Amino acid sequence: MYDTYSQLLVPIIDRLESFLEDDMNIDVVNDESKIINSEHITLKENTVLIGTGGSVQLIIAMGFDDTVLEKLVDEFCYGEIYEGEELIEIQESVACEVSNTVIGNAIKNPIDDSVINITPPILIHEAKSLAKYKNSMILETEIKTVDGDIQLTVIGPKDVFSNKLNLKEL
Amino acid sequence: MLNVLVVDDALVIRKNITRFLTELGHKVVADAKSGSEAVNICKDINGIDLITMDITMPEMNGIEATKLIKEILPDISIIMVTSHGQEELVSQSLKAGAKNFVLKPITKEKLEQTIGTLFPDYAKENDDELLDE
Repeated sequence: MYDTYSQLLVPIIDRLESFLEDDMNIDVVNDESKIINSEHITLKENTVLIGTGGSVQLIIAMGFDDTVLEKLVDEFCYGEIYEGEELIEIQESVACEVSNTVIGNAIKNPIDDSVINITPPILIHEAKSLAKYKNSMILETEIKTVDGDIQLTVIGPKDVFSNKLNLKEL
Repeated sequence: MLNVLVVDDALVIRKNITRFLTELGHKVVADAKSGSEAVNICKDINGIDLITMDITMPEMNGIEATKLIKEILPDISIIMVTSHGQEELVSQSLKAGAKNFVLKPITKEKLEQTIGTLFPDYAKENDDELLDE
Protein backbone atom coordinates (compact mmCIF):
# COMPACT_ATOMS: atom_id res chain seq x y z
CA MET A 1 0.00 0.00 0.00
CA TYR A 2 2.97 2.36 0.30
CA ASP A 3 2.74 2.98 -3.40
CA THR A 4 -0.71 4.42 -2.91
CA TYR A 5 0.72 7.14 -0.72
CA SER A 6 3.70 7.75 -2.94
CA GLN A 7 1.41 7.95 -5.94
CA LEU A 8 -0.78 10.39 -4.08
CA LEU A 9 2.14 12.64 -3.24
CA VAL A 10 3.78 12.62 -6.67
CA PRO A 11 0.79 14.21 -8.50
CA ILE A 12 0.57 16.87 -5.77
CA ILE A 13 4.27 17.69 -6.23
CA ASP A 14 3.80 17.83 -10.01
CA ARG A 15 0.75 20.06 -9.72
CA LEU A 16 2.44 22.31 -7.17
CA GLU A 17 5.42 22.80 -9.47
CA SER A 18 3.24 23.55 -12.51
CA PHE A 19 1.01 25.86 -10.47
CA LEU A 20 4.02 27.80 -9.18
CA GLU A 21 5.63 28.14 -12.59
CA ASP A 22 2.59 28.56 -14.86
CA ASP A 23 0.11 30.39 -12.65
CA MET A 24 2.30 32.22 -10.12
CA ASN A 25 5.45 33.01 -12.15
CA ILE A 26 7.64 31.38 -9.50
CA ASP A 27 10.60 29.37 -10.79
CA VAL A 28 11.13 25.98 -9.18
CA VAL A 29 14.81 25.39 -8.50
CA ASN A 30 15.01 21.70 -7.67
CA ASP A 31 13.79 19.10 -10.11
CA GLU A 32 14.80 16.14 -7.99
CA SER A 33 12.42 16.35 -5.04
CA LYS A 34 12.78 13.24 -2.93
CA ILE A 35 10.03 11.84 -0.79
CA ILE A 36 11.49 11.00 2.60
CA ASN A 37 10.11 8.74 5.28
CA SER A 38 10.67 10.88 8.39
CA GLU A 39 10.78 10.05 12.08
CA HIS A 40 9.79 13.58 12.95
CA ILE A 41 9.34 16.88 11.17
CA THR A 42 9.24 20.53 12.10
CA LEU A 43 6.47 22.29 10.26
CA LYS A 44 7.08 25.74 8.84
CA GLU A 45 5.57 28.76 10.56
CA ASN A 46 2.87 29.13 7.91
CA THR A 47 1.51 25.65 7.36
CA VAL A 48 -1.86 24.62 5.97
CA LEU A 49 -3.42 21.30 6.95
CA ILE A 50 -5.92 19.56 4.70
CA GLY A 51 -7.50 16.21 5.53
CA THR A 52 -8.68 13.69 2.99
CA GLY A 53 -11.73 11.51 3.29
CA GLY A 54 -13.29 8.70 1.31
CA SER A 55 -11.18 5.82 0.08
CA VAL A 56 -7.90 7.22 1.47
CA GLN A 57 -7.74 9.02 4.80
CA LEU A 58 -4.70 11.06 5.71
CA ILE A 59 -3.50 14.57 6.50
CA ILE A 60 -1.58 16.67 4.00
CA ALA A 61 0.44 19.64 5.27
CA MET A 62 1.79 22.39 3.01
CA GLY A 63 4.24 24.79 4.69
CA PHE A 64 5.47 28.05 3.20
CA ASP A 65 8.62 30.08 3.81
CA ASP A 66 7.70 33.72 4.48
CA THR A 67 9.43 34.82 1.30
CA VAL A 68 7.55 32.48 -1.01
CA LEU A 69 4.26 33.36 0.69
CA GLU A 70 5.00 37.05 0.09
CA LYS A 71 5.56 36.34 -3.59
CA LEU A 72 2.34 34.29 -3.79
CA VAL A 73 0.42 37.16 -2.16
CA ASP A 74 1.90 39.59 -4.72
CA GLU A 75 0.81 37.36 -7.58
CA PHE A 76 -2.67 36.68 -6.18
CA CYS A 77 -3.26 40.37 -5.48
CA TYR A 78 -1.92 41.64 -8.82
CA GLY A 79 0.51 43.91 -6.99
CA GLU A 80 -2.18 45.59 -4.89
CA ILE A 81 -0.81 46.47 -1.45
CA TYR A 82 -2.61 45.60 1.77
CA GLU A 83 -1.69 46.47 5.33
CA GLY A 84 -2.42 45.47 8.90
CA GLU A 85 -5.18 42.98 9.64
CA GLU A 86 -6.35 42.89 6.05
CA LEU A 87 -2.86 41.86 4.93
CA ILE A 88 -2.82 39.06 7.51
CA GLU A 89 -6.22 37.83 6.30
CA ILE A 90 -5.02 38.01 2.68
CA GLN A 91 -1.85 36.02 3.53
CA GLU A 92 -3.92 33.38 5.30
CA SER A 93 -6.39 33.05 2.48
CA VAL A 94 -3.62 32.86 -0.14
CA ALA A 95 -1.85 30.05 1.76
CA CYS A 96 -5.13 28.18 2.15
CA GLU A 97 -6.21 28.75 -1.46
CA VAL A 98 -2.87 27.61 -2.90
CA SER A 99 -3.03 24.42 -0.83
CA ASN A 100 -6.69 23.81 -1.60
CA THR A 101 -6.26 24.39 -5.33
CA VAL A 102 -3.11 22.30 -5.72
CA ILE A 103 -4.30 19.38 -3.60
CA GLY A 104 -7.82 19.54 -5.00
CA ASN A 105 -6.52 19.60 -8.57
CA ALA A 106 -4.17 16.70 -8.02
CA ILE A 107 -5.68 14.23 -5.66
CA LYS A 108 -7.52 11.09 -6.60
CA ASN A 109 -7.18 7.46 -5.63
CA PRO A 110 -4.40 6.05 -7.87
CA ILE A 111 -5.80 2.53 -7.60
CA ASP A 112 -9.32 3.05 -8.88
CA ASP A 113 -9.31 6.77 -9.83
CA SER A 114 -12.10 7.37 -7.33
CA VAL A 115 -12.47 10.87 -5.95
CA ILE A 116 -10.97 11.62 -2.57
CA ASN A 117 -12.78 14.39 -0.74
CA ILE A 118 -10.79 17.08 1.01
CA THR A 119 -11.63 19.09 4.10
CA PRO A 120 -11.52 22.90 4.24
CA PRO A 121 -7.93 24.05 4.84
CA ILE A 122 -6.72 24.99 8.32
CA LEU A 123 -3.78 27.36 8.75
CA ILE A 124 -1.46 26.98 11.73
CA HIS A 125 0.83 29.90 12.40
CA GLU A 126 3.49 28.70 14.77
CA ALA A 127 5.89 25.97 13.80
CA LYS A 128 5.05 22.63 15.40
CA SER A 129 7.13 19.54 15.68
CA LEU A 130 5.49 16.27 14.71
CA ALA A 131 6.95 12.93 15.75
CA LYS A 132 6.05 9.54 14.36
CA TYR A 133 4.26 7.49 16.99
CA LYS A 134 3.37 3.80 16.95
CA ASN A 135 1.25 3.19 13.88
CA SER A 136 1.80 6.47 12.08
CA MET A 137 3.87 7.31 9.02
CA ILE A 138 5.24 10.66 7.90
CA LEU A 139 6.36 11.26 4.31
CA GLU A 140 7.82 14.60 3.39
CA THR A 141 9.43 16.46 0.54
CA GLU A 142 10.50 20.03 -0.11
CA ILE A 143 10.03 22.09 -3.23
CA LYS A 144 12.73 24.73 -3.61
CA THR A 145 11.96 27.88 -5.54
CA VAL A 146 13.84 31.08 -6.24
CA ASP A 147 11.55 32.75 -3.69
CA GLY A 148 11.85 30.20 -0.88
CA ASP A 149 10.80 26.67 -0.02
CA ILE A 150 7.49 24.86 0.27
CA GLN A 151 7.36 21.83 2.54
CA LEU A 152 4.91 19.08 1.63
CA THR A 153 4.08 16.41 4.20
CA VAL A 154 1.72 13.46 4.24
CA ILE A 155 0.78 11.89 7.55
CA GLY A 156 -1.12 8.63 7.66
CA PRO A 157 -1.53 5.36 9.50
CA LYS A 158 1.43 2.99 9.13
CA ASP A 159 -0.64 -0.10 8.39
CA VAL A 160 -1.53 1.21 4.96
CA PHE A 161 2.14 1.45 3.94
CA SER A 162 4.09 -1.61 2.80
CA ASN A 163 7.70 -2.24 3.69
CA LYS A 164 8.73 -0.88 0.26
CA LEU A 165 10.06 2.37 1.62
CA ASN A 166 12.78 2.84 -0.93
CA LEU A 167 11.37 6.20 -1.72
CA LYS A 168 10.54 7.29 -5.15
CA GLU A 169 12.63 9.93 -6.88
CA LEU A 170 11.03 12.32 -9.28
CA MET B 1 -24.22 43.93 -17.36
CA LEU B 2 -25.08 41.28 -14.79
CA ASN B 3 -25.68 41.88 -11.10
CA VAL B 4 -23.55 39.34 -9.28
CA LEU B 5 -23.25 37.99 -5.74
CA VAL B 6 -19.80 36.55 -4.95
CA VAL B 7 -19.67 33.86 -2.25
CA ASP B 8 -16.35 32.54 -0.93
CA ASP B 9 -14.81 32.20 2.52
CA ALA B 10 -11.40 33.34 1.23
CA LEU B 11 -11.00 37.12 1.11
CA VAL B 12 -8.46 36.98 -1.71
CA ILE B 13 -10.80 34.94 -3.90
CA ARG B 14 -13.71 37.31 -3.27
CA LYS B 15 -11.46 40.22 -4.24
CA ASN B 16 -10.16 38.49 -7.36
CA ILE B 17 -13.55 37.36 -8.62
CA THR B 18 -14.88 40.89 -8.01
CA ARG B 19 -11.92 42.29 -9.95
CA PHE B 20 -12.48 39.93 -12.90
CA LEU B 21 -16.24 40.52 -13.01
CA THR B 22 -15.78 44.28 -12.89
CA GLU B 23 -13.25 44.11 -15.73
CA LEU B 24 -15.79 42.05 -17.67
CA GLY B 25 -18.35 44.84 -17.24
CA HIS B 26 -20.49 43.27 -14.51
CA LYS B 27 -21.53 44.71 -11.16
CA VAL B 28 -20.83 42.88 -7.91
CA VAL B 29 -23.79 43.93 -5.78
CA ALA B 30 -22.64 42.05 -2.67
CA ASP B 31 -20.26 39.42 -1.41
CA ALA B 32 -20.56 36.79 1.30
CA LYS B 33 -18.09 34.61 3.15
CA SER B 34 -20.45 31.76 3.98
CA GLY B 35 -23.45 29.97 2.56
CA SER B 36 -25.75 31.27 5.29
CA GLU B 37 -24.68 34.86 4.63
CA ALA B 38 -25.42 34.33 0.92
CA VAL B 39 -28.90 33.00 1.67
CA ASN B 40 -29.67 36.07 3.80
CA ILE B 41 -28.41 38.42 1.09
CA CYS B 42 -30.66 36.70 -1.45
CA LYS B 43 -33.63 37.35 0.85
CA ASP B 44 -32.70 41.03 1.23
CA ILE B 45 -31.42 42.15 -2.18
CA ASN B 46 -33.48 42.11 -5.37
CA GLY B 47 -32.20 41.88 -8.90
CA ILE B 48 -29.30 39.46 -8.55
CA ASP B 49 -28.73 37.71 -11.89
CA LEU B 50 -25.81 35.46 -11.04
CA ILE B 51 -24.03 33.95 -8.04
CA THR B 52 -20.48 32.57 -7.97
CA MET B 53 -20.49 30.04 -5.15
CA ASP B 54 -17.53 28.34 -3.50
CA ILE B 55 -18.34 24.74 -2.58
CA THR B 56 -16.18 24.19 0.51
CA MET B 57 -17.00 26.73 3.20
CA PRO B 58 -17.47 26.58 6.95
CA GLU B 59 -20.91 27.04 8.58
CA MET B 60 -22.94 26.26 5.47
CA ASN B 61 -21.29 24.88 2.34
CA GLY B 62 -22.08 25.94 -1.21
CA ILE B 63 -24.31 22.97 -1.97
CA GLU B 64 -26.62 23.54 0.99
CA ALA B 65 -26.70 27.26 0.21
CA THR B 66 -27.54 26.56 -3.45
CA LYS B 67 -30.51 24.41 -2.46
CA LEU B 68 -31.88 27.11 -0.15
CA ILE B 69 -31.29 29.94 -2.60
CA LYS B 70 -33.02 28.06 -5.41
CA GLU B 71 -36.09 27.80 -3.15
CA ILE B 72 -36.07 31.59 -2.74
CA LEU B 73 -35.01 32.48 -6.29
CA PRO B 74 -35.76 29.52 -8.58
CA ASP B 75 -34.57 31.28 -11.74
CA ILE B 76 -31.21 32.54 -10.50
CA SER B 77 -28.05 31.28 -12.18
CA ILE B 78 -25.41 29.83 -9.88
CA ILE B 79 -21.85 28.98 -10.90
CA MET B 80 -19.96 26.73 -8.50
CA VAL B 81 -16.27 27.35 -7.85
CA THR B 82 -14.23 24.27 -7.09
CA SER B 83 -10.92 22.49 -7.38
CA HIS B 84 -10.73 19.50 -9.70
CA GLY B 85 -10.72 16.68 -7.16
CA GLN B 86 -14.20 17.53 -6.04
CA GLU B 87 -16.10 16.34 -9.09
CA GLU B 88 -18.51 14.40 -6.93
CA LEU B 89 -19.36 17.62 -5.14
CA VAL B 90 -19.84 19.37 -8.47
CA SER B 91 -22.31 16.68 -9.45
CA GLN B 92 -24.19 17.22 -6.16
CA SER B 93 -24.14 20.97 -6.80
CA LEU B 94 -25.68 20.58 -10.24
CA LYS B 95 -28.42 18.43 -8.71
CA ALA B 96 -28.94 21.15 -6.10
CA GLY B 97 -29.65 23.64 -8.89
CA ALA B 98 -26.30 25.11 -9.94
CA LYS B 99 -26.01 25.78 -13.66
CA ASN B 100 -22.28 25.34 -14.23
CA PHE B 101 -18.93 25.29 -12.47
CA VAL B 102 -15.49 26.83 -12.83
CA LEU B 103 -12.28 25.12 -11.77
CA LYS B 104 -9.66 26.74 -9.57
CA PRO B 105 -7.36 28.53 -10.13
CA ILE B 106 -9.89 31.11 -11.28
CA THR B 107 -9.00 33.38 -14.15
CA LYS B 108 -10.91 36.12 -15.91
CA GLU B 109 -10.98 34.04 -19.07
CA LYS B 110 -12.50 31.02 -17.32
CA LEU B 111 -15.17 33.19 -15.72
CA GLU B 112 -15.99 34.91 -19.01
CA GLN B 113 -16.31 31.59 -20.81
CA THR B 114 -18.51 30.05 -18.11
CA ILE B 115 -20.75 33.12 -17.90
CA GLY B 116 -21.00 33.05 -21.69
CA THR B 117 -22.45 29.53 -21.60
CA LEU B 118 -25.20 30.68 -19.22
CA PHE B 119 -25.90 34.02 -20.85
CA PRO B 120 -25.23 33.47 -24.56
CA ASP B 121 -27.15 36.59 -25.58
CA TYR B 122 -25.00 38.66 -23.27
CA ALA B 123 -21.83 37.07 -24.64
CA LYS B 124 -22.98 37.78 -28.21
CA GLU B 125 -23.77 41.38 -27.29
CA ASN B 126 -20.25 41.77 -25.93
CA ASP B 127 -18.73 40.24 -29.07
CA ASP B 128 -20.77 42.62 -31.25
CA GLU B 129 -19.57 45.59 -29.20
CA LEU B 130 -15.98 44.47 -29.62
CA LEU B 131 -16.48 44.10 -33.40
CA ASP B 132 -17.97 47.60 -33.57
CA GLU B 133 -14.87 48.97 -31.87
